[in-house]
Amino acid sequence: MPASALLVSVIIVPLLGAVLTPVVGGRTGKASGPWAFGVMLVTSAIALALIVHVANVGPFSAYLGGWEPPYGIELRFDEFSASTAVICLLGTLAILFSFRYAEKELPTERIRYYYTLLLLNLTGMIGFVVTGDLFNLFVFMEILSLSGYALVAVSGEHTAEMAAFKYLIMGAVSSLMVLFAIGLLYALTGSLNMADISVRLAGAAKAPAMLAVAALTVGFMVKAALFPLHIWLPDAHAIAPSPVSAVLSGLVVKTGLLGMIRVYQIYYGAKVLDLSSLNMVLVWLGAISIVMGAFFAIFQEDIKMMLAYSTISNIGYIIMGLGLASQYGVIGATVHIFNHALIKATLFLGAGAIIYRTGYRNLTDLRGIGRSMPLTTAAISIGAISIVGMPPTAGFLCKWYIALGAVEAGHPIFGFALVFGALFIFVYYIRMVNTFYFLEPVHPEILEVKEAPLSMLVPVLILAALCLVMGVLGRIPISFIEPAVIRMLAPLGG
Amino acid sequence: MIDLLWTNLDYAASVILFCIGLYCVVTKNNLIKKFIGLNIMETAVFAFIVALGVVEGGDAPIMGVGASAPFTNPIPQALILTGIVVAVSTTSIALSLIIRIYQHCGTIEADELREME
Amino acid sequence: MEVVDIRPILAPVLSFACAGLVFFMGKNTFWRAFWSLSAAATKLIVVFSMLPGTLRGTVYVFKLLDFTPGIGLGFRADALGMFFAIVSSTLWLITTVYAIGYMKGEHAQVRFFGFFALCVSATVGIAFAENLLTLFLFYETLTICTYPLVIHEETPEAMKAGRKYLTYTLLGGAFVLLGSVMTYSMAGTLTLSKPGILSLSSGVTALSWLFAALVIGFGVKAAIMPLHGWLPSAMVAPTPVSALLHAVAVVKAGAFGLLRVFYNVFGVAVLREMPIVDWLAYLAVFTILAGSFIAIFQDNFKRRLAYSTISQLSYIVLGATLLTPFGATAAIAHIANQAFAKITMFFVAGSVQRTTGKTQIHELAGIGYRMPWTMAAFTVAALSFVGMPLFAGFVSKWYLSLGAFEAGKPWFAVVMVASSLLNAAYWLPVVYLAYFKAPPGTVLRIEEAHPLLLWPTLICAAYVIMLGLTTQVPGLPFSLAQAAVRFVFGM
Repeated sequence: MPASALLVSVIIVPLLGAVLTPVVGGRTGKASGPWAFGVMLVTSAIALALIVHVANVGPFSAYLGGWEPPYGIELRFDEFSASTAVICLLGTLAILFSFRYAEKELPTERIRYYYTLLLLNLTGMIGFVVTGDLFNLFVFMEILSLSGYALVAVSGEHTAEMAAFKYLIMGAVSSLMVLFAIGLLYALTGSLNMADISVRLAGAAKAPAMLAVAALTVGFMVKAALFPLHIWLPDAHAIAPSPVSAVLSGLVVKTGLLGMIRVYQIYYGAKVLDLSSLNMVLVWLGAISIVMGAFFAIFQEDIKMMLAYSTISNIGYIIMGLGLASQYGVIGATVHIFNHALIKATLFLGAGAIIYRTGYRNLTDLRGIGRSMPLTTAAISIGAISIVGMPPTAGFLCKWYIALGAVEAGHPIFGFALVFGALFIFVYYIRMVNTFYFLEPVHPEILEVKEAPLSMLVPVLILAALCLVMGVLGRIPISFIEPAVIRMLAPLGG
Repeated sequence: MIDLLWTNLDYAASVILFCIGLYCVVTKNNLIKKFIGLNIMETAVFAFIVALGVVEGGDAPIMGVGASAPFTNPIPQALILTGIVVAVSTTSIALSLIIRIYQHCGTIEADELREME
Repeated sequence: MEVVDIRPILAPVLSFACAGLVFFMGKNTFWRAFWSLSAAATKLIVVFSMLPGTLRGTVYVFKLLDFTPGIGLGFRADALGMFFAIVSSTLWLITTVYAIGYMKGEHAQVRFFGFFALCVSATVGIAFAENLLTLFLFYETLTICTYPLVIHEETPEAMKAGRKYLTYTLLGGAFVLLGSVMTYSMAGTLTLSKPGILSLSSGVTALSWLFAALVIGFGVKAAIMPLHGWLPSAMVAPTPVSALLHAVAVVKAGAFGLLRVFYNVFGVAVLREMPIVDWLAYLAVFTILAGSFIAIFQDNFKRRLAYSTISQLSYIVLGATLLTPFGATAAIAHIANQAFAKITMFFVAGSVQRTTGKTQIHELAGIGYRMPWTMAAFTVAALSFVGMPLFAGFVSKWYLSLGAFEAGKPWFAVVMVASSLLNAAYWLPVVYLAYFKAPPGTVLRIEEAHPLLLWPTLICAAYVIMLGLTTQVPGLPFSLAQAAVRFVFGM
C-alpha cells in the first residue's frame, strides 16, 4: 500500500471502527471491547508502518480526495506526528485495561458506547497530529474534546458529571479561541493549509497576526492545562475512570502541546513576529506550573488527584522546554510529551488496578498494599521514579535536556525551577511508595487483596517496562525528533 | 477611530457579542445560563468568520442558471457549517450533563452544587 | 592504564543484592545476620582485590550504558574512589557486627538491615562513579535510603529529625543536579576521569556560580556551616546508624563529592584563578572553630560527637581549598582518619548506652572502672582528635599544616593548633572524668559491653593507631591517597 493510502487509513480505520462498535457490540456490549482492541491493533500496525516510512524518507503528505492545497485537505505526517504511535499504544492498552473495568462498573447497555467514545477520542487525537490543515485540526480537536467530556462523565456519578461540565465549559471556550484564530489566519492569508499559511503570513499585518497567536496560545494552553488555566484538570482527571484518566492525562492534554508546536511551526517559519516575549511568558508560567502542581500534589490524599496535579507540573516542564526555544529545550520537551504519556499511563492504570481490587483511593486506606499487590505496586514505583526523572528511566533524559536548554538559552534560573520542581515531585512520590510498602495497614483486609487481573496487569507491566526501556534507549526518540526540531527552529537563526 | 469602528462594524459587533457571552459564562450561576453564554460566544465567532467571506455586492456562491459574479467566499461558510455541527454536539452533551446533574442533585445552581460536595 | 573490569560495579551490586535478600528472608534472625555479614565480607574482598592493581596505576572501568553520547552511567575505580570504597567497606563489615549486637530486640530489624545494606551500596556507588550523573544518582539514593534509618525509632522527635534531614539533603541534591547540568553545558562532558574538565574560557563569573551550586549541593552533606543543621538532629537514630552514616557514609559522601568537584570537575589550575575558593576556605575555618566551640557545651554524648563531626569534616574542605599537594593529601587521608576515630567514639557511646543506660557526659564519672576496654578505645580516639603524634589525627593535621605553608597561608596552620586545643578542651575532660573522677564509694566492678559491641570498638581503635603509624608503609590506604594526589597534580 502506498504511504499516502496508509496515512488516510490511520484515521479511517479507527473512525469506522468507532462507528461500528455499537453494532458489533450488540445489546450486551460483550463483543465491543475485543472489537475495539482489534481495531486499535490494526491502527497501531499502520502507525508503525508510517513511522518507519517517515524515519526513512522524511515528512510526507496525502491529499484527501486528490485535491491539492490550498483547496484540498492535506494530511501531513512529520516527526511530530509520530506521536500517533504513542496514541495507538496507550489506546490499545487502555482498551485492554477497560475490559474488567467496564464489566464491573458500567451498566451493560452502556458498555458499547463507552468503547465507541474511547475509539472516537483516539481517532480525534490521531487526526489532530497527522493533519496539515488548520481547520481540519479544529474538527479533530472537537472530536476528541467532545468524546473526552462524555468519557469523564461515563461513570454516571454526579461528581463526575460536574467535573465533566466544568471541563466542557473551559474546553468549549478554548475551542472557540482556536476557531477565532483560525478565522483570523484565514483572513490574513486566504489559506487553511498550515505550510501554506506559514509562507503567506510572512508579509501580513502584525496586529492581527499577534491577536491570532495569542488566541491560539490561550486556546491550546487551556487544553494543555497550563497554570492558571488548569482548574478544570484535577477534578476531571481524578474522577474519570482510570483507563480514561490514563488517556486524558497521558494523551489528551498533550494535544494542546502538539497544537502549540504547530503554531510555532507556522510562526517561526513566517518570521512575521518576534515570539520571544510570548515565549518568556510561557516559560514563566511553565515554571510556576511545575512548582505549583507539585506543591498541590503533596497535599492530596486521593491517589488519582495526586497524579492529576503531577500532570500539571509535567505539562509545565514541557511548556518550559518549548518556550525556551533552544534546541535542547525543544527536543527535551517534545520527547517528554511521549515519555510523560507512558509514565502517567503506567501510574494511572496502576492506580486504577489498585482501586479496582480494593475500592479505596485514599493513600491512608491503601497502606500496606505493596504486600498484597506486589507486581502492580512495583510497576507504579517504576513509574514514580521515572516521573521524578531518576536515571535510567524515561523521565530522566527529557528533563536533563530541558534543564540544558534553560542553561543554553541563558536562563539557568529556570533550570533551578525545574530541579526544585523535581524535588517536590520526588517528595510526594516517596510518600506514595512509603505508603505502599512501609506503613502498617489501616484496613487489615488490604493484605488479603488479590493481585490485579491479567487484563489489567499486562498493560501496566508493559508500560512500566517501557518506562525503563525508553530510559535506557533514550537516544532513539531524541535522534528521531532532532531533525524536525532543527527544521522548526532554523528560521530563528543560530 | 470612530471611522475605523464604523467600517469594521461587523467585526466590532462580533467582538461585543463574544464579550457578552464570556461575561455570561464567567458570572452566571445557573448552569443553563452559563451554557447560553457559551452559545452566544459561538455565535459571535461564527458571525465573525462568515463576515470575513463577504464580498461587497456578492451573490450566494451557488452555481447554476442566473449565477453571476461576484460571489461571496464560500470557504468560511463551509467552515461555519462544520462549526455549527460541532456547536450542536457540544450543546447536546452539555444539556444532557445538566439534566443528569439535576436528576442527581436537584439543582443546577453552581454555588449550591459546590456546597453539596 | 584503563582496564575493563566488572568489579567496580560488582561492589555496589553485592550490597544491593544483600539488601534484597534481607528484605525477602530477613524475618529470620540467622539469615539476616548471615546475608549481611557475608555480603559485607565478600564486598570487602572484591574491593581489596583491586587494591594491588590500583596501586600499580591500573584503573578499573565498567561502562554500564549511555543514554546519549556523553550522558550515561559508568563505574570507575581510581585511586581516590578506591580510598573511599576501602574505608566504607571496611567499616561496613565492622559496623554490621556491631549492629547485630546493638539491635538485639529492636523492632523493624528487617527494614533496618535492608536499608543499611542499600546505604552502603550507594556509598560504594558514589566512590566508583565514573561521571557526575552516576555520582548524583547514588548521592540521591543514599539520601533516600538513610531516611528510614534516621526515623527508625518512629518517635515524634525522630520523625521531625527525619523531615529536617530530608529537606536539607534533598535540597542539596537539587543543587548537585543543577550543577551537573551547568557543568555539562560548559564542558560538554560529565566525566570524572580527568584532572579537571572545565576551562577558564567559560569565564570566572560563570564558573563561580557553578562552583557555588556544587559546593552547596555537596556541602549540605559535608555539613559546612551554615548547612549543618540536619546533622545534630539526625543523631536520634540508633547508634550504629549514627556511626556508619553520620560519621562515615553520608557526611563523607558529601566530602568525597567536594573532592571530586575540586579535583576532577574544576581541576586545580582553574580553581587557583577563582577567588571564591578562598571564601570557602574561610567558611571551613569558621566551621572548624565554631563546631568545636559548640561541642564544648554539649552534655549529650552523641550531640557532642555530632558537633565534633561538623568541625572535623571541614578539615577535609580546608585541605582541599589549599590546592597544594600536601593539602590534598591531608584532605584525602582525613576521610579515613576521621572515619575510624569517629566511629570508635560512636561505638563507645552506643556501648555505654546499651550497657549502663547513660547518655550524658556528666554521668560518665568513673565509667573507666566499669568498662576499661571500651574507655581505652575512647581514649585512643580522643588522642587522635587532639592530634597526638602516633595517632591518625596527627597525620591529617601535620599534612594540612604543611599544605598551609606550601600555599603561603601559614595562618591556617595556626587554625590547626587552635582546633587541637579546642578538641583537647572537650575530649580530655571526658577521659579525666572516666578515670579520675569516680564518685566516692564506687566499687571496682568490671561490667564490659557485650563482645559483639566490644570487639568492633577495639578493632576500630586499633585502626586509628595503625593509620597513625603506617604512613610510610606501601600498600596501605595512605599510599592510595598519595597516588590520588599524584594524579590530581600531574606529578
